[in-house]
Amino acid sequence: MIAARALLLSLFVVMVSSASGWAAGVKAKAEVSCAATAKPLEYDCAIKLSDARSGAALTGVEVTVGADMPSMPMAHNVKPVKATPGSEPGTYRAQIKLEMHGDWAVKVDLAGPVRDRIVKSMRFEPKP
Amino acid sequence: MDDHLTGILSNIGVISFVALSAYLLLLTGEISFGQQAFFAIGAYTAGIVTAMWQLPFWLGLGAGAAAGGAAALFVGLPTLRLHGLQFAIATLAFAEAVRILFELFRYQVVRDGEPVGPNGIEGFRNIRYIFEHDVSATQFMLIIYGLLGVTLFGFFLLERSRLGVAFRMIGQDGLLAAAQGVPVFRVKLMAACLAGAIAGLGGGLYAHLTTYVEPAIFDVMLGVHSLAYGLIGGLGTAFGPLLGVVIDIGLLESTRWFAGYRMIVFGGLVAVLLIVRPRGLLDERLVHRIRRLVSRRPPPAPTNAAVLGEEPS
Amino acid sequence: MIPFIQTTLDGLMVGSSYGLLALGFALIFGVMRRLNLSYGPSIMVGAYLGTLLYIQFGAPTYVVAIVAVAGSVMAGVYVERLCFAPLGVGAGVASMVSSFAIWMQLEQASLLMLPRHSYPFPSLTSGELLSVGPLVVRPDYLIMLAAMLAITAALHLLLYRTRFGLGLRAIIENSVAASLSGIDVRSTMLKAFALASAIGGVAGFLVLSANQQVTAMLGMWATLKGLIAMMIGGLGSIPGAIVGGLVLGVIEVHSQTLFGPQVRDLAAYGVLFVLLVLRPGGIFGTAAVSESAAHRGGDRWTTT
Repeated sequence: MIAARALLLSLFVVMVSSASGWAAGVKAKAEVSCAATAKPLEYDCAIKLSDARSGAALTGVEVTVGADMPSMPMAHNVKPVKATPGSEPGTYRAQIKLEMHGDWAVKVDLAGPVRDRIVKSMRFEPKP
Repeated sequence: MDDHLTGILSNIGVISFVALSAYLLLLTGEISFGQQAFFAIGAYTAGIVTAMWQLPFWLGLGAGAAAGGAAALFVGLPTLRLHGLQFAIATLAFAEAVRILFELFRYQVVRDGEPVGPNGIEGFRNIRYIFEHDVSATQFMLIIYGLLGVTLFGFFLLERSRLGVAFRMIGQDGLLAAAQGVPVFRVKLMAACLAGAIAGLGGGLYAHLTTYVEPAIFDVMLGVHSLAYGLIGGLGTAFGPLLGVVIDIGLLESTRWFAGYRMIVFGGLVAVLLIVRPRGLLDERLVHRIRRLVSRRPPPAPTNAAVLGEEPS
Repeated sequence: MIPFIQTTLDGLMVGSSYGLLALGFALIFGVMRRLNLSYGPSIMVGAYLGTLLYIQFGAPTYVVAIVAVAGSVMAGVYVERLCFAPLGVGAGVASMVSSFAIWMQLEQASLLMLPRHSYPFPSLTSGELLSVGPLVVRPDYLIMLAAMLAITAALHLLLYRTRFGLGLRAIIENSVAASLSGIDVRSTMLKAFALASAIGGVAGFLVLSANQQVTAMLGMWATLKGLIAMMIGGLGSIPGAIVGGLVLGVIEVHSQTLFGPQVRDLAAYGVLFVLLVLRPGGIFGTAAVSESAAHRGGDRWTTT
């Protein structure tokens, strides 16, 4: 039966993968600040990544930025945007387009060589 | 596989758990606005077990499911004897109370020089098990669907068992079911407990998928949504709520060109759909027809005896 | 002693808004035996329309009030036509979920009108506090209390002195028998819906003018408060709605004074839960609502 096979396959996959990667891995720390642009609901975000333990800047990381609204998860998904490296080591920039104002959880996803995810809660209000 | 697609599929998988949870109770005729509470309890429990107590992932999930089931039992005992609407409001009150309690709940330990753990209204960050143990996004998605598959298999067995029939009997007419000898209260309690466990399991998966939960996520919206999924997708089969989730999240993702009007379109679509099919797309009648179509056997060939007019053997 | 009375008085003031909200809910539930989850959002639509006029065109307060009530009625009728009228007697859950879908729709429509988290709202009085002996009263809330009493009295007259009210009471008692007696059930239900939305619109306007601002949480807030107050007072009972609202207000304000703002909502939900478990009918309902009593009058709202 398909369900039983799927479960066995996924168990196998997990066991194999967890056997190979027991290293705790690098834990990343991020500082995120977003500034409003001329267009409403579009924000320019600057991200500073560093190693949480050593404090060293993390360079050459593939950074993707997305956002989700906590009060309606997955209802207002912002399409994830790839960030471009900034001028200083460990800095990245991304432009995100939100669907509405309010409280958002901004997700910074890191892929190769460091894998991690950092979530920052931020409030976006229109300019008075 | 594209990371974005993996993310969407994983979301669909996780939300299906809470949709199935509401659906299970709906089978017994009980409307619950509160399944999100068990989702929350599962999420926090699993997160605490893996991120704070550093125990294995499966233990965290199991603890989450167990906590969800136990909480459901605890709530079900006083409330299941209530009449329909009162039960629904009681579950709503319970779920909101739980959410506010999580806003007040603080429990942190220090790891790597930083506090980790539920921090009241700020939520519970850094549930980083899948990063610490190098589980890829695709692998986690497979885990989610593997567990979902097991759950669906459980539903499959349930629909064909006496217990499943008892569920639907109670859903149709509780008085009649009791007259037939079904221990209504106990069966409802069992349904509630299972539903709570399913939601708790989903919550544990959700916490690890997003690495971050906060009380605001588990609000009334989530609860009514999970109920809506079953209604939209159909109450005839466990695939109904799944279909509802796929339509909702699939539509939500795909109707991006509607930008700020998404809810308006989606809300209108759902309202119209429910006028046409009040029991959802895959309602009991349709499922029954499909089953008959699938299991249709060829008509028995007439025997010589019958043709010659003799008595059939 | 005085602080206690003051807090109770504040609670009664706040409770009168809850009572009005619950009144609308009870009217709809009593007539249709279903929960309208779009109740708060339809009030929000009206309030937002009024706010729009206020901010963009500086409309005077009475215009805002009229627009708020009219907007709520329009939204309410829309909900009734789409979610409740087309669905048969048995499809209780479906119409509830449908009204939830429209909740999302109305809320997004409102937020498209006015995207910010909060906006200013015109107030009725200058805001100076009145002193009644050692106690302090906010005139806005006093107006709300007076409005609640007036509306309740008017509703009572409507229900017991008019043909329409007679039809309404007949439907509340037993909708099947009512239609057999020649009462146009569907048209009466529509009018009841409009009336409930109007009451809700008034409640919304008064609350917003007392707070002098309107926030994006209005829809959810109004639905939840109205629902809780109605349940405390007794499902579908009209005097229960008023009492339930007042009780809720008093409990909330006392909890906030004693334990702080976060416990305020927790206390409301806790009391509701305990009340439902111990006395499901609420204060004015029967001690236990039996299945057979609910099945009277085609009341099977949980199944289809």
